[in-house]
Parts: sequence; C-alpha cells; structure tokens
Amino acid sequence: MRDYLRAALKEPLVHFLLAGLALFLFFAWRGDSVDPESRTITITEAQVERLAASWAQTWQRPPTQAEIDGLIRDHVKEEVYYREGMRLGLDQDDTIIRRRIRSKMEFLASSELENEEPGDATLQAMLDKNPQVYAADARTSFDQIYLAAQDEAAARTRATQMLAALGTGADWQKLGDAISLPRSPENVDRARIAADFGDDFAAALAGLKPGAWTGPVSSGFGLHLIRIRSVQASTKPKLADVRQRLENDWRAQTVKAREAKAYQALLDSYTIKIAKP
Amino acid sequence: MKKSLLFSGSAGLALAALALTMPRGDAPAQAAEPVDAVAASAYPERPLFGDTHLHTTNSFDAFGAGNRLSPNEALRFARGEEVMSSSGIPAKLSRPLDFLVIADHSDAIGVTTDLYNTAEADLADPVLKRWRNMLHGDRKEAYAVTREIIASFQSGKIPQDLIRPDRIAAMTRRIWDAQIDSVERYNEPGKFTALHGFEFSLQIKGNSIHRNVIFRDGADKARTVLPFPSQGTKGPEPLWSFMEAYEKASGGRMLAIPHNANLSNGIAFALTGPDGGPLTAEQARRRAAREPVVEVTQFKGDSESHPYLSRNDEFADYGDAGWENGNAPLSQLKKPDMFGGEYAREALKRGLLIEARTGVNPFAFGMIGSTDTHTGLATADEDNFFGKFSNDEPNPDRINTIINPGIAESRIGHQYLAGGLAAVWATANTREAIFDAMMRREVYATTGPRMAVRMFGGWNFAASIFAGDWVKTAYAKGVPMGGNLALGKGAPSFIVQAQKDPMGANLDRVQIVKGWVDAKGAPQEKIYDVVWSAPKQRRLVKGKLTPVGDTVNLATASYTNSIGAPELRTVWRDPDYKTGQKAFYYARVLEIPTPRWTAYDAVRFKMKPPAGAKLKDQERAYTSPIWVR
Repeated sequence: MRDYLRAALKEPLVHFLLAGLALFLFFAWRGDSVDPESRTITITEAQVERLAASWAQTWQRPPTQAEIDGLIRDHVKEEVYYREGMRLGLDQDDTIIRRRIRSKMEFLASSELENEEPGDATLQAMLDKNPQVYAADARTSFDQIYLAAQDEAAARTRATQMLAALGTGADWQKLGDAISLPRSPENVDRARIAADFGDDFAAALAGLKPGAWTGPVSSGFGLHLIRIRSVQASTKPKLADVRQRLENDWRAQTVKAREAKAYQALLDSYTIKIAKP
Repeated sequence: MKKSLLFSGSAGLALAALALTMPRGDAPAQAAEPVDAVAASAYPERPLFGDTHLHTTNSFDAFGAGNRLSPNEALRFARGEEVMSSSGIPAKLSRPLDFLVIADHSDAIGVTTDLYNTAEADLADPVLKRWRNMLHGDRKEAYAVTREIIASFQSGKIPQDLIRPDRIAAMTRRIWDAQIDSVERYNEPGKFTALHGFEFSLQIKGNSIHRNVIFRDGADKARTVLPFPSQGTKGPEPLWSFMEAYEKASGGRMLAIPHNANLSNGIAFALTGPDGGPLTAEQARRRAAREPVVEVTQFKGDSESHPYLSRNDEFADYGDAGWENGNAPLSQLKKPDMFGGEYAREALKRGLLIEARTGVNPFAFGMIGSTDTHTGLATADEDNFFGKFSNDEPNPDRINTIINPGIAESRIGHQYLAGGLAAVWATANTREAIFDAMMRREVYATTGPRMAVRMFGGWNFAASIFAGDWVKTAYAKGVPMGGNLALGKGAPSFIVQAQKDPMGANLDRVQIVKGWVDAKGAPQEKIYDVVWSAPKQRRLVKGKLTPVGDTVNLATASYTNSIGAPELRTVWRDPDYKTGQKAFYYARVLEIPTPRWTAYDAVRFKMKPPAGAKLKDQERAYTSPIWVR
C-alpha cells in the first residue's frame, strides 16, 4: 500500500490532479462560481470560413476536410487554454498563476521525464511492438555492372544484349562502363546502399531475389545489371543492443503523450459545439 | 493576445521548466559505449557528411526568432527522425546526416528563454521588462529583442542584471549539462556521431571573429568546463588559452573552426597580430595548431573566393551577393582593401607570404561547409531550406526579408544560401575518427550536395593508376587532401576524382586552384580546368571552357541530368611548375546549373520572385589544399 502510494506520488498525473484540486479549493474559497455558459465553446460557420481562408492565403489552395478539422481542433484548444488562463486571472501575473503554469509545465514531462528511467518492461514492450524499427537492416552482397545512361534508350538496349551475353557465360568482370562505384559490395545495409547509389536504387534492390543476373536497375549514375549473391535477413534485436535508442524514443514519445493527456484533462470539462458551413 | 501567445510558446516553457528544476548532482544519463566498439578501416573509405554548426533554442537569438527546439529534437532530426518545427511544420530529412555538432552561442546562452519565463513583476530593470514583454509579443517584436541585445552587447549598454555573473554561471551550467546529456544519448558510434561543442561569437565593432569549438571527448571531460564566452575578449587568443588549459587539465582535445570570414571586414585573416605589428612565428604557430579547418560556406554566404580578388575566375562570385556589403550588422560598410582578409583563397596565399617571412604558416587550413541553422533543423539542400531563423521557416514572405532593417545596403532574404555540409574522410563514424580527420585536414566543403571527392598529390602519379586498387596506392605513394607534399623532382601530379551526389545533379567540371608567391614576393593564383563532361564537344578556348549548358526549368523548379557527367576523374600534372616552388593546390568541383531554394519557393508558394533574386546556380565542392613545401 505504501509502495503504491509512493509510486502514485511520483506519477505526474497525480501531481496535476492535486494541483487542480488545490486550485479548485482556492477558487471555492475565493467564492468564484463557475458559469456553465463559459464552459461552452461554439464555433460558428463564419469562424470556420475565416480559419479556412487564412489557411488558404498561406498555402495557396483551399484546405482539405481533414485540414479544416485540424484547424478547428487547434482553434478549440487555443480557446480552452485562453479561457482557463482568463479564469485564473493570468493577465495579472500573480503567484497563483505562476505556480499553476509551473505545475502544468512540470507535468508536461520536463524535469521529471529527463531524470526518469523507463524500466526494462516498458522498453521491451516498445521493442516487441515495433521490432522492425530497431532491427539492424538486412545485409546484402551483390555484383553490379554499370552502364552510363546519358542516352537512356541506347543504354537499355545495351543492357538487354549484355544480359543475353551473361546468360551464355560471358565474363561479367569485363562488361560495363568505368565508374568508381564498388562492383561487389559485401554485406552492406540499406542505408549504405542508399548513400552509395541513391534511395531509389536501394529500394529496387530490396525487391530482388538472389541468383541470376537481372535488371537494369536505375541509380543516380545510370543503369546497373545486378546479381544478388546473398541476403542476410534482419534479426530481432536484443534489448541490450538498442536500449539507448529505445530510451530516446520513449522520452520523445512520452513528452507528446503527456502533453496530450494534460490537454485532455482540461478538455473533458468542456462541452464543444461546432457548426460547419 | 498576450495570454494565448503565452500558451503557444508552451514548448519553450516546458524547456524552461526543465532547466529551472533539473536537480544537480544526480547521475547524468550516459550511454555505456566502449570506444573500441567500432572498427576503424585502414584508410578512409567513404566521406561522412555532417553539420558542425547548429543552433537550438538555447542560443539567445534563435529563441528570440521563435526557435523552440531543444538539442534532443535537433539530434533526432539530424539522425533522420521526424520532428515538428517551431512554426508547426512536420520535418524529416530524406537522408540523415552522419554527424552533428550542436554549437550554441556561448555568450548569453539561454538568457532570452529565461527572460521570457520570468514574471514581469520580478524584473526591476525597465529595459529587461520591455524586452520580456516584446518576447511575448508577435514574431517581429520578439525578434527585434535579439537585435537589441546584440547591439547592447556591442555598445556595452547591456542591462547588468541580465549578465550578472552568478546568474549566467548557474544558467550556463544548467544548459550545458542538459546539452551534454542529450548529445551522449544520441551518440551512436558507427552510425551517427554527436559531438560536444559550442560557438564563440566575438564581434569587434560588428566585425565577426566567430569560432565553432569541437570536443574530441565524451561527457566526462566536456563537463569539466563551460562554453567559453567571447564577452570581454578582444580576439581569439583567450579562446586558444582556454583550449590549451582544457587539454592540459583533462587530457582531452579541442579544435576551433573560424567561419563567416566574409563578415569580418578584413580582420579574419589579418597579416598582423593582436598588437597591430606583423604576425610573429609564435602567433602563427598557435593559430595553426588550434584552427586546422575553416568553414567557408553556409547560410550567410560563401567565403571561398571573391571576384575583386580573383579577377580571372568566372565562378568566384558564388554566394557573395549582399554578404559582401559590410560586416554582420552593416555598422561598417565594406571597403575593397578589406576583401583580402576575408576570403579563404586569399588567406591561403597570405599564409605562404607569412611562412616565407617567419617560417610558419598560420593559414594552412582545410575547408568545410556547414549550415549555421538557428532553427534546430540541419537542412542543407535547395529543396528543403528551412531558413536561417525560425521566422524564416518556409513561408511566402521570407524571400523578401529585410535582414538589416533601416540600412540602405541591407541584405535581402533571397541572398541567404541554403547551407553547406562538412565532408570528412574519416576511418570510422566516431568522435575520435572525425576529429582526427579534421586535425589532418582530410575534409572538404560542399554547398549542400553530397559529392564524393578524392584528391591526392605525389611526384609520379600517372593515369594508369586507375587500373588497379588506386586509392590504396595513392595513400602509399602520395598525400591526401590536407596533406603536405615534400618538395621533389619534376612537377607535382594530382589525382582527383569527383563523383556526383547519387540523389543530385551531374557534374560540370573539376578545376584545380593553385596559389603561390612569385619571385618578386607577390601572391599569385591560377585556375586550371582539368577534367569536364562531354570532352568531345567542350573545348578550352583562350583558357575558357565551353559552358556545360543549362536544363533548369524555373516554372517547375526542376532540372535534368541530360548534361554533365556522373563522375569525373583525372591525373593532372602542373604544366607551369618551377622546380623548388612552394605552392598549394585544391580542387573545386562544379555541378551543372540547378534551381536555388528561391526557385523552389516561387513554385511552392505560386509567387513571382523579386527582381534581383538569383534563381539558379552551380553548386560546388572545395577540397582542402595540398601544400607542396
């Protein structure tokens, strides 16, 4: 029970609720009544049109329905914060406000989050959810023959002829044009392939099967005939190997999640009415 | 208005809350990374691309302009994650960088953030009160504070409360420690290197004496010092003393990278020492030891060459327009006799002159590019320019931004370049290998494209070298870029190989720039076109090469690679060499013409660019020189 209490006291949401309770008590004591009307936000058609017009001015096209919804959500958020701020007399810059902002901001992740250490279970769960994000890329070994392609049609014709020659036992080392790209990359990951040959080439290569000569595949340099020698599939990473990355991502995600939670807590006390044109 | 803005700056407030409440003395977050985890190759196999010059919300001017991104977000972005920009645009690099140095201004680090978060009632000084309220005002007002702070620093009228030593010391320690934690968390040897660093930004009457300082070391050593402020110094010498003291006390290593020589009004590469007398051997030695590399291209212009100094160089004016008008705040306009102390090529020649007189070359430096971004987003391509400051993030007005308001010679938004990159021939992607490559100057500058450029000097290189494993042979029989080639017999020969950016434009040509001092003691330069695309059609006529052509379509901001070459390489022997001549040689690689960021903006925002805005250019790379000596 005591441990539970201690854990609960560390939970920022609890801090937030306690701060809210303190504020509520303060205002109850001060005698401010909550006017239900001030808890209603009405978005009119005219307002929606204004939001859309100002958006269009910046982007030189009308917003999509999804973008309009985003603008409205943002506007509601601003209004909620604005009213909360007014309710707290934020314009008077008094101590209560400063504490209120501080507690909200502390809640928003900051210092506690920076010093918090996520446990193994949390990180393992993140890893299990998205293993492909943290896995080392597949490693590919391949041979490539380069064809300069200033005249692409001619290069494609040559590629077809070359493929036929390779089929009848031509020595691949003697084919192709000169360029200082690696001819037989060994166990390279996708990032390496992309850095050397370009993203599109790396993507095309990922779809090829080991075995025979194939292509041509385009790169930033021209065309390439490809022979995949081997592909070593990516393996599921161990927690210890990717711990720091998981922790970094956890921190970044948790900041966002807590911010959303804080806003939701405020938002829940409002009734939102929206009229769309 | 004021209230809603308070909330719209919530990211900044969150950061401030972090800074204000972070307890000291706790065990800092530190990755357990054995240094030997990454194997180094026998010689550098491929260039690493990075940015040595990035500002986060902690730089006072960046915050003033609306930057709310912390070092964490800057690092996430550079390594390829999506982040939300300060102006609310989701941003992700299509190609991550290999390394990043966070280089926030050491002076007044965090002060604007702090001022923003201080209640008005708690400020006694009327100037601070006004600044605080302006920071909460609209974007223009907030940014005006930045300029007022810079001006008051320069005039010495800065409100003392803002720079109270105890206040500054506590704040700097807090921010530095938090930055160190972030850099450690994102440093991933072998994949992505995050280096500790800061910027020393001395302005002498508005003339820039700026340095980015980089640590070779990890958190344990970096934490033993604080970023060294320029306030109170009159030159870079106190910074060098600080670096020397750090190395002695900690056993670590540091280097300093001068930049924006183009805004120094002639004092960046002066022929004189701090006392006004001719530079001495000891001063030259000290400088050369501390400053192996100069950043020659970035958002605020290009400092490689200027047409006033290089009359026979048809490509000398790249990135000079506007920036050449005077010093940074334009408090003093440029006079032609200042150019010599500002541009790298001339400085390399001055280095030879000083060496002839004293025996030591103070300006034997290599060259890199970087961004100087103040948005926390390290973008260096024309099609992803995120602006120098957060208020210049993509928007239809930034092309017309008046950079120096109220001054007739003001620079205009369209004169910003889209930023450069530092290319480093390191043996591994680690702090140690990157730092060591910079120390031996095996680095080069690009104006953004990731071209792979090799250069070697030797006495007996011939074209037949390309038949075999030539790089290995070149290392064995010559020196790479940044190296010293001892005087030899015959004429020096140079291998140069330039490969295009696999995602970018084809190459126009490779040139070799030679500098030397003639028999009369006068510095000279000559530019040789050594290899170019379509050699059957393009000829040298009276020393000028037929232009490569132009495929840029401004209506769509696009180009095609139907001209130019994917790769250019040659072995070139200096035809004008005189036995015993001391000289430097570096390569300049030009791409075919491509649209500038201004052209992309014009298409994106469907607007007519202002008259005088340059819409296309030939991007380029500059290698570090090889010195024959």
